[in-house]
Amino acid sequence: MSDAMTGKAKASQKAGRSRLSAFGSAFVAGGYTMYPVLALLVLVGAIVAPNFATGINLINILEQVSVLGLTTIGLTFVVLIGRLDLSLEGIVGFAPMLAAVCLVPVAAGGLGLELPSWMGLVVALGTAGLIGYFNGFMVVRIGLNPFISTLGLLVLLRGGVLIVSNGRSIYSPGPALTYLGSAKLFGLPVSVLVFAIVAVAIGLVFKYHRYGRALYAIGGNEDAARAAGINVDRVIWSAFVYAGLLAGLAGVLMTGRLDSAVTTQGQGIIFSAFAAAVIGGVSLGGGRGTMVGLVSGVLLIGVINNLLTLAQVPSFYVQASTGAVIIVAAVLTTVASRRSSGVRTRT
Amino acid sequence: MDRQHPIVEMRNISKTFGSTKALRGVDFTVMHGEVHALLGRNGAGKSTLVSTMSGLVASDTGTIRISKTEVVANGQPYATKIRDDIAHVQQTPQLFNLLTVAENLFLENPLVRKKFGLVSQKLMMSEAQALLDKWNVDIRAESLAGELSAGTRQLLEIMKALSRGVPVIILDEPTAALSNAEKRMLFDQVKALKALGVSFIYISHHLDEVFEVADTVTILRDGLVVKEREDVGKLNVELIADLMMGEKTVRSVRVDHTRSDAPVLLQAKGIGLYPVSAEGVDFQIKPGEIVALAGPVGGGKEALAMMLAGQLTPYKGKVSGSDGMLPTIGVVPTDRHASGYVGLLGVRENVAIGGLDVLSGRLGFIKVDKEAAHVGNLARQTNVICSSLEQAVSQLSGGNQQKVVFARALCQNPQVIVALSPTRGVDVGAKEQLYALLRDLASKGLGVIVVSDEEDEIAQLASRVVIVFEGKITGELRGDYTMKDLILRMEGVA
Repeated sequence: MSDAMTGKAKASQKAGRSRLSAFGSAFVAGGYTMYPVLALLVLVGAIVAPNFATGINLINILEQVSVLGLTTIGLTFVVLIGRLDLSLEGIVGFAPMLAAVCLVPVAAGGLGLELPSWMGLVVALGTAGLIGYFNGFMVVRIGLNPFISTLGLLVLLRGGVLIVSNGRSIYSPGPALTYLGSAKLFGLPVSVLVFAIVAVAIGLVFKYHRYGRALYAIGGNEDAARAAGINVDRVIWSAFVYAGLLAGLAGVLMTGRLDSAVTTQGQGIIFSAFAAAVIGGVSLGGGRGTMVGLVSGVLLIGVINNLLTLAQVPSFYVQASTGAVIIVAAVLTTVASRRSSGVRTRT
Repeated sequence: MDRQHPIVEMRNISKTFGSTKALRGVDFTVMHGEVHALLGRNGAGKSTLVSTMSGLVASDTGTIRISKTEVVANGQPYATKIRDDIAHVQQTPQLFNLLTVAENLFLENPLVRKKFGLVSQKLMMSEAQALLDKWNVDIRAESLAGELSAGTRQLLEIMKALSRGVPVIILDEPTAALSNAEKRMLFDQVKALKALGVSFIYISHHLDEVFEVADTVTILRDGLVVKEREDVGKLNVELIADLMMGEKTVRSVRVDHTRSDAPVLLQAKGIGLYPVSAEGVDFQIKPGEIVALAGPVGGGKEALAMMLAGQLTPYKGKVSGSDGMLPTIGVVPTDRHASGYVGLLGVRENVAIGGLDVLSGRLGFIKVDKEAAHVGNLARQTNVICSSLEQAVSQLSGGNQQKVVFARALCQNPQVIVALSPTRGVDVGAKEQLYALLRDLASKGLGVIVVSDEEDEIAQLASRVVIVFEGKITGELRGDYTMKDLILRMEGVA
């Protein structure tokens, strides 16, 4: 009698635990790992810094992370297929700069083309897309390792910015180019809306579109994807194009926010983008990562930067502590993902 | 020399891989200066036995004595202990493509080493050149191993083993990639070394070679010795085939569903399997037919299958369907770990990537309901056992992984299915389920092409067997062929 009782109790205990572990696995696999940490940070922030938990500041954080967010989404396209693209940082600076010099008169540092303002967007995104196409060509057709090909391009684009701008920043490049980064709709910055819309749309593509399925399959096992009939080369190539386009859009938002195309625009953003992706559970080995997780990584970096600034931590320490937080967060996501699924990934 | 005393003595060797018992208490003895041929069908345990001998695979039980070194096996690695007593040439060359011929030949060889572990480049080059001259091989010692032809690479591997000065050498299918002239050279060297007292363990699928070089024969079947140390003179081809085949009870029998009056499903006309092959290969398959492609490793059966499946472009000629349009083809690749499944993803996603065309709507978004239903049906049809369709495929057993790969191949509702080594590394139960699945598909009018090294598998499935050798079709078996026909064809003696 008592034996049966204990047996039953044990069974229900076991069922409870397995339900809990199933919930844990789904939680981690869905990319929610960092949200409790994020909530905790916001809570701590609200207590230590009175200016933190205000509507204005929170919107400010969102506005600041929208550029990083779009770059990270772009990066995730190529990271999901087990590649990387360092040149995105160059695109963030170069694409809007080229657009700006095509718009403004010679006196303001332009090339003298003085294109109509709406052409600025076309030039910026067109350039970004073409650079992405070139990256895809280098990786798929020439067979270069994307690390070296995109590193070279990053350095080249950095120099390219200085060449087309003659080393000077371009101010007020025109309303159409700066609209996305500076205007407000329903009290929210348009850049935040752009980030939100892009994140939702591409999140759906990652999860429910055949293109997203192909990205995960290629990242997980390229040969298997090929055997399953996926046009692997085309998907890889196009992933670089989408990455470039999103980095171009990020650059346009940045130029809009500053109302100028600055020569140093975007410097260092690729490191933050990698950090945000890894914190968000995107595996650098490919095949693993969700939009939900990626957004958590982006928000976490934004909140930490904002908090450290509000807490009046000296700027040297801000940089070092951001680095430390990145390492801790990366360890956390990697361990959580291994614990929950038993599948080893190369972070 | 001293042919009365054993140099290798192995007692009670067993090895289990997962649920497969590869060796079941095998005793094996090799004498000084003898060439000992080890025979048996694919999967009989030949390669596993020699691997336990060289320590490449650690035996689970028993004792191994080579020369003066004795090892008691318990599943722990012991390769380093016997390294100086034995050399093992594996079926596929294990060379470093980016190192030179000389570096490959003398890697970790004390002969070219000086003080502080420094390697003398000059000595290495001259030794390597001398060795190449001795074998009459016309390559330079400084060429990269990756630049060499398959035959030369194989030869290099053999030279490396033979020049190490060890008393025992294992040659596992050494002639698979060699030309006739290269084979002659190999046999001459083997005979010369044998005269010096070196012992060889020789595995080959070509019985004529065995009769030429071997002194003694041991035959394995299903991980057991069925003929121990028989003098080669007392054996003939018929006898060997009988011993290799045994009286194995066939678990299920083939059924011929071929619709001979139906139009051809898929055909190849004059396709070249190799870049330089002179002759083209013709092939066709009808609905309901199960065709097996068989033949020696590297003979071209995989290439033919991959070209039929549209995964490789033929070097010449054309693959087409009956009306010029290619039918939908599902592929089960050879190595499921390398190119079969995506381990990170769940069963559902793995199956669905095989049929993205069928499962997505006009804008390319997957229809979630349709996906769940379709994948669920396929998982039932292929008998996949998993905790849920979301379970990562890397966590499933080998048999279930293979069933997932089959489900993926079927996801596009194909008219033809091409399966390479469909049951490699799969336990008996899952094997029978996969055979039943393939027969069921054939009965529904699919064309089934199977590439296999296992006679049993072919005999249980195929209504037609095509033998592919050296880039050509060298034979065909139809209808009620016997197991013996099949074995003789596959051993290359008939």
